[in-house]
Parts: sequence; structure tokens; C-alpha cells
Amino acid sequence: MRIKVLNEKCQGHARCAAQSPEIFRLDDDGFILPGDIAVPEGQERTAWRGAKSCPERALVIEDD
Amino acid sequence: MKVPDHVPPELVRDFSYWSAPGMPPSRGGDPQGALASLHDGPPIFFAPENSYDGHGTWVIVRAADQRRVLQDATTFSSRRQLFEKALGEDLPTIPLEIDPPAHGAYRSLLNPLLSPKRVMAMEAANRERAVELIEGLKGKGRCEVMEDFAFPFAVGVFLQFLGLPQSRRQEFLGWADKQLHGTPEERGEAIRTVIAFMRELVELRRREPAEDFMTFVVQAEVDGRKLDDREAVGMGALLFIAGLDTVAAAIGFDLRHLAVHQEAQAQLRADPAGIPLAVEELLRAFSTVLVTRVAARDTELNGIFIKAGDRVSCPSMVANRDPDEFPDPNRIDLRREDNRHVAFAYGPHRCLGSHLARRELVIAIEEWLRRIPTFRISEGTAPLTHGGHVFGIQDLELAWN
Repeated sequence: MRIKVLNEKCQGHARCAAQSPEIFRLDDDGFILPGDIAVPEGQERTAWRGAKSCPERALVIEDD
Repeated sequence: MKVPDHVPPELVRDFSYWSAPGMPPSRGGDPQGALASLHDGPPIFFAPENSYDGHGTWVIVRAADQRRVLQDATTFSSRRQLFEKALGEDLPTIPLEIDPPAHGAYRSLLNPLLSPKRVMAMEAANRERAVELIEGLKGKGRCEVMEDFAFPFAVGVFLQFLGLPQSRRQEFLGWADKQLHGTPEERGEAIRTVIAFMRELVELRRREPAEDFMTFVVQAEVDGRKLDDREAVGMGALLFIAGLDTVAAAIGFDLRHLAVHQEAQAQLRADPAGIPLAVEELLRAFSTVLVTRVAARDTELNGIFIKAGDRVSCPSMVANRDPDEFPDPNRIDLRREDNRHVAFAYGPHRCLGSHLARRELVIAIEEWLRRIPTFRISEGTAPLTHGGHVFGIQDLELAWN
């Protein structure tokens, strides 16, 4: 499972990191760091919830 | 009713946030719930007298459409000149009333001050403030929550952040109340008072720096130059109107919900770890802010022509009851997980204080439940709620044994 990060849509709500700070890493201002995310095995559920928590729809789930 | 020529008559509705059913002040009211029925009507309509000064606005009902408006800050400008008329001079609140791309530099300057990390650094002091207030009233067996807890707590946090003396809380609240809920004359006067106060504060902090927000602002640089007085005043003024009573209103609505719904109160007492999730649902259900934009150019939204200069209103509490995004939207489920509510807006103007507001609400509910036994609405009372410019709850009498 991969998560595509649309940085231009991130507005710093930081809801993803509230679900999982390990999977969704933020900069000091609370915006998501650039780069798509390869979800470690076994953490799909948390990653899914984090991606689904974005009010701006900046995180797109891409199944392998 | 003045309806502009370009608005098709079939899209006109007699509606306003002040006069529609459930909007005027009422005891035991439910202003957010009252607007949920807008989802039974057209997704976008025109309300000819839907502002404090009698202007018409488009009303955007659905969450997906509000996202399109709020994420496109170039087409839907937030440059509303809130203060211009009252002051007779151009003084935008910053960064709210600045459009991209200029907005970005101001916003980047302020983001670190209210980032999730910075807010966690304020946690202990904020919690201590809540604990002190609750400990001070719990022996009474009853209280009026807004006056005794919600306002002193939320405004106390805010004043500390801004570096303003706590002793002037009532005075500041009076200005905010008139600015948000007063007659047009009172609004103008309150705006002039706040701006004059901010000008003095800017001058003071240039002369005598301290460890506070305004000192940061007057020393800050944007695009390689220091901010000028107009910019510093514009930032101070925005924080003043944005931060002074929104969190207090949310605390009031939340505690009322828990007082009325004993099973919800018991559920959170049994599972305090569920409070952050519950706060999200309460933010969804009891949003208080109307977000207004102005079309910067002629545009189109879902096939409806919107003319340059038209006001476009995105009521957060209506989007948050959208059945297309929230199954069973009028059911308040404190365990709701898929909850991308719009209490803090969408797009580049997302509430700068959202991280602080969230923590204040979590702290308030945690400490209240930890220290106050099972509470209820005081017998013979009913809280006074209202719609309008910012939805609110004016008093909330709670009792416990």
C-alpha cells in the first residue's frame, strides 16, 4: 500500500499525524513532508485512517 | 428585497442567519440543527438580505461545493474589507484578508507560532488555567458555565498568547461582543477601539520588547524587510476577532450536549481516552463560524453564474450536516471516525488557531469530567443560544450533586 502525497493541497490540518505520527511526518509548521509514503506491512489500517482523515483530500491511497 | 439582475428568481430564498427559524436568540435552541434542513433544498441559493448590513449572499450548502470555493482562494477572495468602512482607510486583517500569492509569506511567518508542536509546549500552562477555574467553582454545586469557566479559560489562554493583561478581559470581551453581534454603529465603534488599541500595542512593543506575540510581529521580517505598523496592526486585529469567543462558544455547546445526553457523558467518563475523538464530533455538530468570500471575477459553480463582487457564504455548520459526507449527519456519535468536518474551514485560510483550539477543547472536557461529578442542566433553566454572525451560547446553567 502506498499513499500519494499532494503537497500543494496540504493546508496543515495535521489530522493525518494525529492518527499516526510515525507514518505521516510533518514539518515544524505542521505540514506534511514531501514524498509519497510506502506503508510498512501491518500498518495499513492506521495508514488508511490517516489518509482518510485529510479534510483537503491531499492524501490518496494507492493499492499495490 | 434587492435581488441582482443576474440571479435567477428560482434560486432566491427568503433566508438569513439572523431571522431564519432557529436563528434568533432562544432558550433551549439548536441553531446548528435548525440549519440542517437546508440540505432538503437547493445546493446553492441566493439570500437577498443575509448579512448584518443587509447585503445578499449566495449560500453554499454542500461540503463538496464549499471545498471548491474555499480551496480556490484566487477566485473566491477573502479580501472583504471588514474594517474599511468603519475606519475610512484600507487596513486588511492579516493573513485572512490577503489573497494568494501574497498570503503565503504572512501565513508562513505565523504558522510556527501556532503549530502542533508549539501548542503542545503551551499544554501545561493551559491545563493549569482550566484546573484552577474548575477547582474554584466545583464546591458550589452549580455554575453558569460561560461566565464562570468557558470565557475565563478560552480568553485567558488567548490573552496570554497575545501578551495582553488578564485584568482587561471583560473590556476586551465587550469589544468583541459589539464587533460580532452589535448594531452597525456599535460594530464601527468597536472596530475603531480595537484598532486604536492595537496601534498602541505595536508602538509599545517597538519601544519595550517582551516575550509575546506583538513583539514577535514587530520584529519579524517578510520578504527581507520588517513588517510596518499597518501590517502589525492588521495581524493583531485578526487574532483579536478570531480568537476571543469561538473556543468559549464551543466549550458551551459541548458541555451542554454532555449535560443533556447523560449516556454520552457516562461514555466519556468511562473512556477518557475517547475525548479527542469526541471533540472532533462535537466540532462537527456544533460549528459556529460562517466563512464568507467575494468572487474576484465572474465565475461559475455547478452551472450557476456568480458575478464578480458577489458574496459567497460557506456556513461550516451546514456543510457539517451534509448527508453525502456524514452518514446520519444529525446523529451525534462521539465515536464517529470518518469525520472530515469543516469547523476550521478548508483551503489556504484554514484556521491558524485550529491546533490550539482543539487542545483547549480536549483539556476543558477532560478536566471538567475529572473534577465535576455527573452534571445536568440546572432545573428550571434552559441555555440561551443564537445564530447570526458567529453562532453562540450565551448562558449555560449546570448543576451537580
